[in-house]
Amino acid sequence: MALEHQARDRRRLIDLLSLEDGALIAALGGRRRKELSGAIADVRGDRRPRHANAAEICIHDPCYPSALRGCVAPCMLSLAGRSELLEALSGAGVVAILGSERASHYGVTVARSLGRGLAAAGVCVVSAAREGIGAAAQEGVLEADGAGVTVCGDGLEVATPRGLAPLRRRIASRGCLLSELPSDTGGRRWGPIAAQRTIVGLASVAVVVEACDTSADLFGAHLTRRAGRVLAAVPGRITSPLSRGCHALLSDGACLIGDAGDVLELLPAPNGVSRPRPTWTPTPRTRLDPSLAGVLERVAAGRDTPEELADEVGISEALSALGELELLGLLIRGVGGHYLPRDPPPAAGPDFDRHGSG
Amino acid sequence: MLARAHAFTIDGLHTRRITVEVDIRAGLPAFTIVGLADTAVREARERIQAAIRNAGFDFPARRITANLAPGDVPKAGPGLDLALACAVLAASGQLDGAMLGRAVMLGELSLDGRVRPSRGSLAVAEATHRAGLELLALASASAREAGLIDGLRVAPVESLRSAVRVLEGGPPDPLPAPAAHPGAPRPADRCPELSDVIGQPGAVQALVVAAAGGHNCLLSGAPGTGKTMLAQRLGSILPPMSRREAIEVTRIRGLLGTPVTGLASERPFRAPHHSITAAGLIGGVRGGWAGEVLLAHNGVLFLDELSEFSRPTLDALRQPLEDGRVAVVRSRHSAVYPTRFMLMAATNPCPCGYAGEGEDCSCSPGDVARHERRLSGPLLDRIDLLVEVRRPRVSSASEEGRTTSAQARELVREARARAARRLKIDGLELNAQMDARALRSHVHLDSRAEALLGMAREQGALSCRGEARVMSVARTIADVEASARVRARDVGAALTLRGRRGRAVRHAA
Repeated sequence: MALEHQARDRRRLIDLLSLEDGALIAALGGRRRKELSGAIADVRGDRRPRHANAAEICIHDPCYPSALRGCVAPCMLSLAGRSELLEALSGAGVVAILGSERASHYGVTVARSLGRGLAAAGVCVVSAAREGIGAAAQEGVLEADGAGVTVCGDGLEVATPRGLAPLRRRIASRGCLLSELPSDTGGRRWGPIAAQRTIVGLASVAVVVEACDTSADLFGAHLTRRAGRVLAAVPGRITSPLSRGCHALLSDGACLIGDAGDVLELLPAPNGVSRPRPTWTPTPRTRLDPSLAGVLERVAAGRDTPEELADEVGISEALSALGELELLGLLIRGVGGHYLPRDPPPAAGPDFDRHGSG
Repeated sequence: MLARAHAFTIDGLHTRRITVEVDIRAGLPAFTIVGLADTAVREARERIQAAIRNAGFDFPARRITANLAPGDVPKAGPGLDLALACAVLAASGQLDGAMLGRAVMLGELSLDGRVRPSRGSLAVAEATHRAGLELLALASASAREAGLIDGLRVAPVESLRSAVRVLEGGPPDPLPAPAAHPGAPRPADRCPELSDVIGQPGAVQALVVAAAGGHNCLLSGAPGTGKTMLAQRLGSILPPMSRREAIEVTRIRGLLGTPVTGLASERPFRAPHHSITAAGLIGGVRGGWAGEVLLAHNGVLFLDELSEFSRPTLDALRQPLEDGRVAVVRSRHSAVYPTRFMLMAATNPCPCGYAGEGEDCSCSPGDVARHERRLSGPLLDRIDLLVEVRRPRVSSASEEGRTTSAQARELVREARARAARRLKIDGLELNAQMDARALRSHVHLDSRAEALLGMAREQGALSCRGEARVMSVARTIADVEASARVRARDVGAALTLRGRRGRAVRHAA
């Protein structure tokens, strides 16, 4: 299959990571073999944590997540944040949300709402500390006051890209950040790829929200299959290249996800009792002025720019309605001026009604 | 004997009044000019001697001292020749000096006594009128330009003899025939026409709002979507200049030495290339060269490929955009020039240009972020309208429903008239010029509009300046739609037209 062919290089990396220290040095050490073996022997003796804020957990530690031990596991994890979450990881209800870095705002919105719904249902969400789907999923978790686990491909102290630093801080205060590299190390090119195997290893279900049909985006899915976990995908528009990977997965047998409830049904129920559906519901959009509601419906149906709306409602009405709806949080505006409906944030402003007494 | 004459010298865009005093006394023949005269003025000695002799007068062989007062202002340019020569003639008794005290002389003398035109005649004519002097004598070639000022008697003179005749009460020389019109005016069907632009109702609406209120506008979109076309059509919907504005534009052109055949009729439209430096954009006036923002005064400054301009150049625009004037400080003097122009700019949303057009964008998130950083926050904050221009859909290629230049011009004219009536009391003309106090007194929001603006403020979507700009754009939109109060829909449209600032999701689905 095309998928297997594309994943060849990354598979080689994963195979390498699964080697024991001695074999790894022998395979890659080259001229520095002796020096590295000597350095390893010194380190084995003491386990002082390198940085105050981060705990270091060895694979032999009792609190190392048991789910990871089964597959190619990192020998050492650095953790920042609430370490008690690691116990929750040993349970069965962990969902990984995977996807492309260059996600569209459809993908970002879906990832956010999945994160929110799953966190509200008490499920732990794991994702990568990267732009696009990974960050959006954790934002959703934070919106529902949940606690998620984020796996970083670089050291915990070094945040790349820098734009994600505030998000990482918020995650560290509510959830936890994991990394395979020591805290003060910068990123490595293989870091994000190695992080994928940690994410997949921790989860029992992996959901791919948006992915191009490339080995980079679909690597997480490939690992999920290899580890024997449940794979699911979210469909998208067939014209969008960002959904082609997901559609390929769906036709290969991945489960179809429409909302957070579908994901919950895939999780093994604890003690045989079925899980409750998510309790967080968006603010009902009552008392919205009919002209605004009409424009909102049209945008949801696909007429997402002022030009397309102008044909039906006139340009000045289109411009004013789009501005108000964006302010109310019911629309989000992206590059190129395309609008997309979204669930308003939980703490919405006072109900705004154009013709009411407001 | 002492004689005095009046003259003006050009200093950048301003004129300075000079009093020419000539004193003749017994002594070895000498002719000295004092008063911080530059080389061109000092060379006047040779010109004046030859001119006076060749015009048939007598050059006194005595000690002549000419003083150009005030003594601490640098005088430049050959325009003082005529005044100096007439003062010498008056001091030596060959000219009746009574009229000299109420007239201004402007012109360079050639060796045979003919008067040559000098730069800045319109500016000097304005200054003469303001100073209360009743007559301006200058070269015939510039007399038409000077005659644009009402209430001033302009006497064209061909030669020194004619100047003496005029000063003694005689008739001036006739005005030369108007120069042949530099090319016939463009036939109506070749003028840029707004309905040439296919399927961009949002951008056209933004253009109308920009023209009606004098707001600055940035068009962002993929290549080939019509951004440059739209910007070039802005001139076709702006109202014609008022007489005062036309005189200001003609004055600037005259000061730079551009041949002026009459009052400027079209608003200036400047479109500098993106390799221009900050000095080229903002710099003062010196020796026939002016910065682009001065040349765009009362007109449009169009910056195509805004992201290609260097950062220092764009940062230099902040002050003129905010204050409507530019302060130029040089080693010897500093000057403040007023400059009111409309800024139009066009840019691509990302390095490849196709962000927002679905699959075609090949940029990584880092590329797009870097591209967006080139347009600094402070500059964008001063741009009132940020419009995204997309590829039109096939069905919008129909002819009907497209606004024509004539329709847009009418809307703009009426909206400007409403705004001018309202703002007359504050001495302003356009909504974009309103400051905080004017906004408070002239922009009345109804309660729904207040609530909407309050929500925007709470969400942190607008800076304080942003809020003020949104209010002025909303007032312009209300003027375009002929509403006395600013309604919620006007504020909503103003917020949409203000555009998205800051990071957001990259690609459209």
